[in-house]
Amino acid sequence: MLNNQTAESVIDHALSLGADFAELFVEKNETNVVSTLSDEVQSVESGINFGIGLRLVYGTKVLYGYTNKTDRDELLRIASVLAAKDLRDPVSTLKSFNFSHISDIHPASKILSVDAEIESKVAYLVASDRAARAAGEQISQTRGSCMQREQHVEIFNSEGLHTNDRRNYIRSSLTAIAADGNEQATGSWNDGGLLGWEIAADLDPQRTGEEAARQALVNLTAKPCPSGRMPVIIGNGFGGVIFHEACGHLLETTSVAKKASVFHDQMGEMIASSIVSAVDDGTMANEWGSINIDDEGMPTQRTQLIKDGQLTNFLVDRIGAQQTGFARSGSGRRESYRYAPASRMRNTFIEPGDARMDDMIASIDKGIYASHMGGGSVQPGTGEFNFAVTEGYYIEDGKIQYPVKAATLISTGPKVLKEISMIGQDFSLACGMCGSISGAVPTTVGQATLKVDDILVGGNA
Amino acid sequence: MSTANQTTAQMAERVLDQVMSAGATGDLIVDEGETLSLKARDGELEEYKVSSSRIFGLRVIKDGHIGTAYSEAVDADALGSMVGQALNNASFGKVESHENILPNSDHLQTDDELLCPPEQVSIEQKIELALEIESKLTAKDKVKNVPYNGVQDITSQRQIFSSAGLNALTRSRMCAAYAYALAEDGEKNAMQGTSQVTRLFSGLNAASVIDKTYEKCIGLLDGKPVPSKHYDVIFDPDCQVSAFGVFAMMFSGKAAKDGINPMRDKIGSTITDSRLSIYDHPLNADGFGYHLFDAEGTATKKSELVVEGCLQTLIHNSATASYFDSETSGHASRGPRSTLGVKLHQVEIAKGSEDLSTLHSGEYLELTDLTGLHSGANAISGNFSFGASGYLCKDGERIQAVRGITVAGNFYEMLNKISMIGNQQHWNEGRSALMPSIRFSDVAISG
Repeated sequence: MLNNQTAESVIDHALSLGADFAELFVEKNETNVVSTLSDEVQSVESGINFGIGLRLVYGTKVLYGYTNKTDRDELLRIASVLAAKDLRDPVSTLKSFNFSHISDIHPASKILSVDAEIESKVAYLVASDRAARAAGEQISQTRGSCMQREQHVEIFNSEGLHTNDRRNYIRSSLTAIAADGNEQATGSWNDGGLLGWEIAADLDPQRTGEEAARQALVNLTAKPCPSGRMPVIIGNGFGGVIFHEACGHLLETTSVAKKASVFHDQMGEMIASSIVSAVDDGTMANEWGSINIDDEGMPTQRTQLIKDGQLTNFLVDRIGAQQTGFARSGSGRRESYRYAPASRMRNTFIEPGDARMDDMIASIDKGIYASHMGGGSVQPGTGEFNFAVTEGYYIEDGKIQYPVKAATLISTGPKVLKEISMIGQDFSLACGMCGSISGAVPTTVGQATLKVDDILVGGNA
Repeated sequence: MSTANQTTAQMAERVLDQVMSAGATGDLIVDEGETLSLKARDGELEEYKVSSSRIFGLRVIKDGHIGTAYSEAVDADALGSMVGQALNNASFGKVESHENILPNSDHLQTDDELLCPPEQVSIEQKIELALEIESKLTAKDKVKNVPYNGVQDITSQRQIFSSAGLNALTRSRMCAAYAYALAEDGEKNAMQGTSQVTRLFSGLNAASVIDKTYEKCIGLLDGKPVPSKHYDVIFDPDCQVSAFGVFAMMFSGKAAKDGINPMRDKIGSTITDSRLSIYDHPLNADGFGYHLFDAEGTATKKSELVVEGCLQTLIHNSATASYFDSETSGHASRGPRSTLGVKLHQVEIAKGSEDLSTLHSGEYLELTDLTGLHSGANAISGNFSFGASGYLCKDGERIQAVRGITVAGNFYEMLNKISMIGNQQHWNEGRSALMPSIRFSDVAISG
């Protein structure tokens, strides 16, 4: 996408201005989104994003610029503007580019640049809508979407790295709305991966529609949630979002290096219950959060974050490695050329245990079973978090009693890690978008159903 | 043909010529921007970011079918491909008889002196401000560090062209400073921040950002939960604007058309306490929600949304207005990457009658921080459950810092449980809405 001569002259120029390190990140991506409203196509949108990001590093200071233009003069201009306040005699020289072919461990076949397969996607979404409506008369509407993206990246740096990668993303979702008089409730389903539309072979519109409808219908009958401190069982799959947000972000050197993480000085310490082991893994075949190489050109890896409760690794990008002394973990990621890379998660999960669901429920006098979690937020410095329960049930005397609505879970990441007392066997993953300092990147969360002994539940009963 | 030396208007003309040659109509949004962003750490500049960007976003209408496509590449091939994609995308959509390119051939331009005032400021002055905020905050008692801070200078420009001859241009500048500090005292910690936005860099006030951030951090350091019960609650201006923002769909004509706006059939009905009046005021140039025209080039005006508790209207673009046999209210929204929607510009709530001492009488919770705003809310049902921090107050005095609580309820019901409305309006930090303090009664708090 950018010729070697231009890349070489820009990086050479940056080094001549005294930069320790210079990098070009060239990106072109094509996106197509098919949206349906009930059984009709609402819109088909498509487009091309293209740009180049230039990063200069002086010590640990990062200078970053980007442009949509590819001409050499514009890139040289940006380098000069960035370096204007840090000019010094050269301290590094460019090593000649050595193109490294990456092995594609996440192959895709039905890719966007070959065929957007719009008819097939519309057929799947419409069939999902019909399945949802057939699940109950109270299902008043559905909203469906299929997003497909093909991202090409090319990376050059002053250490001689030259590599490229092609990433194919596909994600589909369906939201069902149930209505009863003035009451309305929603349910949703989504799936995705680092692959092409061949994912359709695993998508069952009947299951998609029925699951979204089931959740909406349950929520339509839900009662206000009791509030207060109580044990909570958190469902598998997307339930892992709590670990991701409240603990995973605190293990990124983006927070660790700034001492904005409560875990910044706890390497090797017991930071979780001894039954907790957690991993961030970019190598899982065709998973939504997987990558071949990170956005600094380093091959991805599996990183054990916590082993039997002990903190074993942080997620480390180039600058984080420089600032903390920990080895890079292939975790430098960014949404697009508009962002400098930062340490970010990939597929992040708590490893399964051996507890049985029945035993977890039977162990609770009064508590909540949060079978499906929604989004939330976390305060990175303190680990305080807040997550919405999108499908939840009240438990009393060891039995599930009734569905609850508008429940929120509040605690801190470090506290919850220590309060996990049982982990089940029903491990699964779920995909989402993670927003942080380097933009929104695809990430997967996961866990088996697990029990936390004490969380503040917010409700309005 | 090369586009290297063509102006945006010439490229737009070429794109729209291709659209019309294909027997379609269309409009084109071209967004351009230049940004400088600075961040400091340990007294040194940590990040220096400059950017320039441009994106073309096309909407075409052919035989009643709508298609959109966008491109950040602006060579002739890329723009031609964008036209082809938009036309192809249109072929899959249903006929949208209500959506048309407006017969608007106006030439509109906002006032640069007002929205993009010239100013001579050196890069050194901007760096100095970023360093000053970080270093002075870090030096304060109990502040461990200021992990998130920055100074930004953003100039953005939007041009809208249509096959009917519309040519609208708006350009604006925003300078911003923000800081989030982490304070520690033994085992206790708190992280809080503030931001400030102005049109001129010289309007940024480092001392104000430092003092407000420090006050918020230290104030909440000793925070603890309060007993679970129902309290009177006053949100600070930012929290209140955020809460109204989460439920802004209640005014959306598009959501009404799609059948998911719970207020769809309530125009003319009382939906809130009779003392509440809500407007959209896009022409108040003191705010950053100022808009002279909307995304279809329709001139904006002040709209009455709720007057003395009665819902007056929903907001419309030309398509939703046509669907409801009404007139566009000048609330069309569209980004280069998105389809036509509706959006409030700058919400204003009329001031009430209560002075500060009356508003603050007795016991109430002042909430200064809400978390989980979007994940914890259902705009269709109105149900919400947010994490919150703030202060338990009595007669205007903060008597206890409060953290680790949730505030839950139904927003639409809460609008009928208003105890008092203050007699002064306040902008939020982002200067996007102007509201008086509202005291809500009987709000469920869990601690």
